Amino acid sequence: MAVTPDVTDASARLEDLIDTAHRIRNSIESVIEGKSDVVRLTLTVLLAEGHLLIEDVPGVGKTMLAKALARSIDCPVKRVQFTPDLLPSDITGVSAYNQQTREFEFKPGPVFANIVVGDEINRASPKTQSALLECMEEHQVTVDGVTYALESPFMVIATQNPIEMEGTYPLPEAQRDRFTAKIAMGYPEQAAELEMLDVHGASQPLDKMEPVATTAEVVALIQAVRAVYVSQPVKRYAVDMVAATRHSPDLRLGASPRATLHLVRSARAHAALSGRDYVIPDDLQDLAVPVLAHRLLPSLEAQGQRRLPEQLVGELVRRVPVPDAK
Amino acid sequence: MKLPVAAGLATAAVTITLYPLFEGGTWFWSCMGAILVTTVAGAVASRMGARPWVAPAVTPVAVLLYLTLVFTPDEAWLRIVPTKDSLVRLAELVGAGFDDIQRYAAPVPDNPGITLLATAGVALIALLVDVFAVRLRRAALAGLPLLALFTVPAAVITEPIGWIAFVIAAFGYIGLLVTDGRERLSRWGRAVVVRRSSGSGRGAAPDTERLALSGKRIGVTAIVLAVLVPAFLPALSPDPLFGFGVGNGLGGGGGNIGIPDAIAKLGGQLRQQSNATVLTYTSSDDVPRYLRIYSLDIFDGTKWTLSPLRGLQEDRVSEGPLPPTPGLRPGVPVKRAEMRVTMSEDIDKLNFLPLPYPARQVDADGDWRADRASLMVFSAHDEAAGLEYRVVTEEPDPSTTELRTAVTLPESERYLQLPDGLDPRVAALARRVTADAATPYEAAVALQEWFTRAGRFTYDVRASGSGAQALSRFLLRDRTGYCEQFAGAMAVMARLLNIPARVSIGYTGGTKIGDVWTVRTHDAHAWPELFFDGIGWLRFEPTPAGAGGQGTAQVPLYSLPITPTADPTTGPSDGPSSNEEDDSGQSAGPARPNPRQLDRDLDGTAIAADPGTPVAVKIGIGAAAALALLLLPAAARLMVRRRRLRRMTRTASGGHAAWAELRDVLTDLGMAGEPSETPRALGRRIAERYALGPQAAESLTRVVTSEERLRYAPTPSASGPVPADLRRIRRDLAPRASRWRRLGAVLAPMSVLRRVRAAGEGALDVFDRLEGLRPRLWRARPGGTQGTATTPERPGATGAGAGDAARERTLTGARR
Repeated sequence: MAVTPDVTDASARLEDLIDTAHRIRNSIESVIEGKSDVVRLTLTVLLAEGHLLIEDVPGVGKTMLAKALARSIDCPVKRVQFTPDLLPSDITGVSAYNQQTREFEFKPGPVFANIVVGDEINRASPKTQSALLECMEEHQVTVDGVTYALESPFMVIATQNPIEMEGTYPLPEAQRDRFTAKIAMGYPEQAAELEMLDVHGASQPLDKMEPVATTAEVVALIQAVRAVYVSQPVKRYAVDMVAATRHSPDLRLGASPRATLHLVRSARAHAALSGRDYVIPDDLQDLAVPVLAHRLLPSLEAQGQRRLPEQLVGELVRRVPVPDAK
Repeated sequence: MKLPVAAGLATAAVTITLYPLFEGGTWFWSCMGAILVTTVAGAVASRMGARPWVAPAVTPVAVLLYLTLVFTPDEAWLRIVPTKDSLVRLAELVGAGFDDIQRYAAPVPDNPGITLLATAGVALIALLVDVFAVRLRRAALAGLPLLALFTVPAAVITEPIGWIAFVIAAFGYIGLLVTDGRERLSRWGRAVVVRRSSGSGRGAAPDTERLALSGKRIGVTAIVLAVLVPAFLPALSPDPLFGFGVGNGLGGGGGNIGIPDAIAKLGGQLRQQSNATVLTYTSSDDVPRYLRIYSLDIFDGTKWTLSPLRGLQEDRVSEGPLPPTPGLRPGVPVKRAEMRVTMSEDIDKLNFLPLPYPARQVDADGDWRADRASLMVFSAHDEAAGLEYRVVTEEPDPSTTELRTAVTLPESERYLQLPDGLDPRVAALARRVTADAATPYEAAVALQEWFTRAGRFTYDVRASGSGAQALSRFLLRDRTGYCEQFAGAMAVMARLLNIPARVSIGYTGGTKIGDVWTVRTHDAHAWPELFFDGIGWLRFEPTPAGAGGQGTAQVPLYSLPITPTADPTTGPSDGPSSNEEDDSGQSAGPARPNPRQLDRDLDGTAIAADPGTPVAVKIGIGAAAALALLLLPAAARLMVRRRRLRRMTRTASGGHAAWAELRDVLTDLGMAGEPSETPRALGRRIAERYALGPQAAESLTRVVTSEERLRYAPTPSASGPVPADLRRIRRDLAPRASRWRRLGAVLAPMSVLRRVRAAGEGALDVFDRLEGLRPRLWRARPGGTQGTATTPERPGATGAGAGDAARERTLTGARR
């Protein structure tokens, strides 16, 4: 009986918070037209305390999405443009000698923010990339033996450019694995593009954006998402799905246990965004491609047949049976 | 390396089917040794990478050494190397073996000659299988020599080969095919084709496991079907007659000998166009006598057969008189007569002497022995064709008083045994016919009387049918048959009345031509013998005689109905009358030539023949049964639906029942989705694609949401679906399906059929799992060689990778 008030309480809280989420969503969508799926997924990753990798050709609004999200929440946002000569300390911060106090003083880097936008992350050297990735995983920064905790929420939105690969350092599998989801923006629909011309033709829309939620609200939202119920069959389904990637003959490398964790976490957020206080297999199915695909390496055969990991994951999802009650 | 072994195993498996041909087990071990020698020779040749022709050249030498070692070690040098003497001895043994095969019917004793022949034959088959499967790589063709071996028992033994033997043989062949397929596939990965045929290919072997699995599945399914389907089908060819298939049990001691079936197939003889002479005889009193060959004492419900014979050394007829007549009390008067019988040269194999019953003494050349219980005289080696012999008979000549007072003490229970499942109407009929009889003898006479007169039977050699059913048909409906039916029926009815009875097969007394009595094929006959204590076995004659019946049959005097006016002293003393050249039976004194000829049309205690079930009704019953069978799935579906609807209203988890029902409805209508479809997705798909009405859509949502919450939410939904929801959905969905679909959904619901199929697949999976045991054991070894296509001595270089590949295969191979 002790559970029931908890649950109703949680669902009541959920009702409130859904509202907040919708506000953020609408706010972003006022800038990014016709990409509601992408926006929803971005929000899902935020609520799942994950990080997002956006990969697409230049000019489709990758940075715009990241900025819009940041602007919608009243929180510090930092943006790092990754270049080959970027150093790890440029991200984490550096201890500098203060001549007045005669002490070493820590100058926090751009990573000390709620939302960090890493533009063209594949252009930086692996050393620098890994500095950021460490922060992502640990939610902390260690400089000169001193550890500094990062704020919550903390979300890294990294963008990648799949063309112009020369002189870049594509993220290795191990680092891609740290991103909860990878999405491609895709070109907008014709109608959306037309509307974009009308709305953004003359002005910079980001300037007009007002924050619609506070950091505290987002943290509360994250708390609520953590309370979303995941039943045993759904957990089993997630494990089955990830296991399927490991046993598929089309894949050289399957998804990691971290992927399972990310999948279930983001499924919670997905369910919460749908106004549900429990996860259903549909959540997992919707998220399987963005959450799993970027971690997988197709076999040479599959590569030869030009089958992308996204397709392979889609096929696996169609093959894994939905769990019954028992 | 595997293939020669598989070939040897296949030959060994088929060799097992030879067991009904032999007595004893020596032949088996000897044959297994020959297969072992052949297999080892072949395997060694393979191992050494010899050219394909080497093994067929070397193996016969090895087999010769083996045969010398086993059969003629004393003549051989060092007991194994053949010398001239040993070869001569082998040749002698082969000759003796051929002679024995000519002489004996199966099962033959496994004396050295026959064993040698069997061993050499099996070795030849093993060699051929090795050549086809291993040298020529045509494993399928290796089935031909195996089939040749398999047909030996099938052709020699009339009884079908036991299904277990068949299954073993079939598994042997399938094993060979699977091994061949596997080895063939395991070579695909090799870059260079080398002549060496040692199957140790390096590098990861291709995936042969699943291939073997499906091969085995198909094989197992085929074998199961081959065994089961005939069991459920009615036999296509009716066994002739009451099935006097004279078979014989296996085992039973040295005196056992096989019986040629040709003689037992009386009907065939009677139907023959030609009427060849079988034998001629003269008798001291010039009275014809029935000559008995076989006495059948076992009725198993399908046919009459005889129990194993016992021909002891001391019962040789050359040693003196035959064993005492069973059941004959010393005081009973007997009539002694002597007969000289000349058998025709042309008769087929016959190891039994046609003799009058009871014979007291037989003078015949050869090793003839008497069976104590039945007084049949037979030989394990000699044949009756062309034989001339003398026989003395002492027929009991009981007075009527003796007969009337005789009781039937069962000499042995076996003469009273009847199979289960006899039509109870037969027993009732027997009691009705013999209602007036006070003693067993009178009952027997009444039975014969009924068969020959009151029952209005018709003699017709074209009758057929076997077993208890044919018996009922013969007695209750057709009343048409010939001696076998009459004799069998009377014997069964006598047994039903507790009178020990058996059926004799042989010839009637024949006709007198010139000075001798001539017995022809058309005189072949069957008659019942009934046992009366103190007198022994007495012959009865239920078959009609004369032109309209069995021409030369005669009714024994003692078995004529006792009419109150008849003088009891006259009848029996006259002895059996003879019927001379004319075929009309003459018997029972001057007043009554042949009772059944005259009284045929008289009314007796006529019992109307049961007309039986009319054909139309039968067809109707059959159709109804078929219909019921066809409607079984529909009925099962209805029951499942009702149970679910009931559960929906009663239990808290009624949502599951509603969901299961919804799934089945969709399956039946051909609208089912993939197993990866979630409840929500299914609801969306159905509502969109089939454009449900608002009410039905609402019901669908209720069913789907309830199931979803039951499965995945912490608390179930407040209001579950009700049966009306399902009805509404069904009503809306049905018109979207084609008419045939709808009909199928009612008559042959896919949901039920699929469950049946799943059960079948589950059964097959058991085989898969059994199959999976071995590779797993292999994999557990360090070095991780996998599968069975590769040899264990392969270096473990492929270790972990191969193991992973194997695991991957197993998991993706699982049925989803």
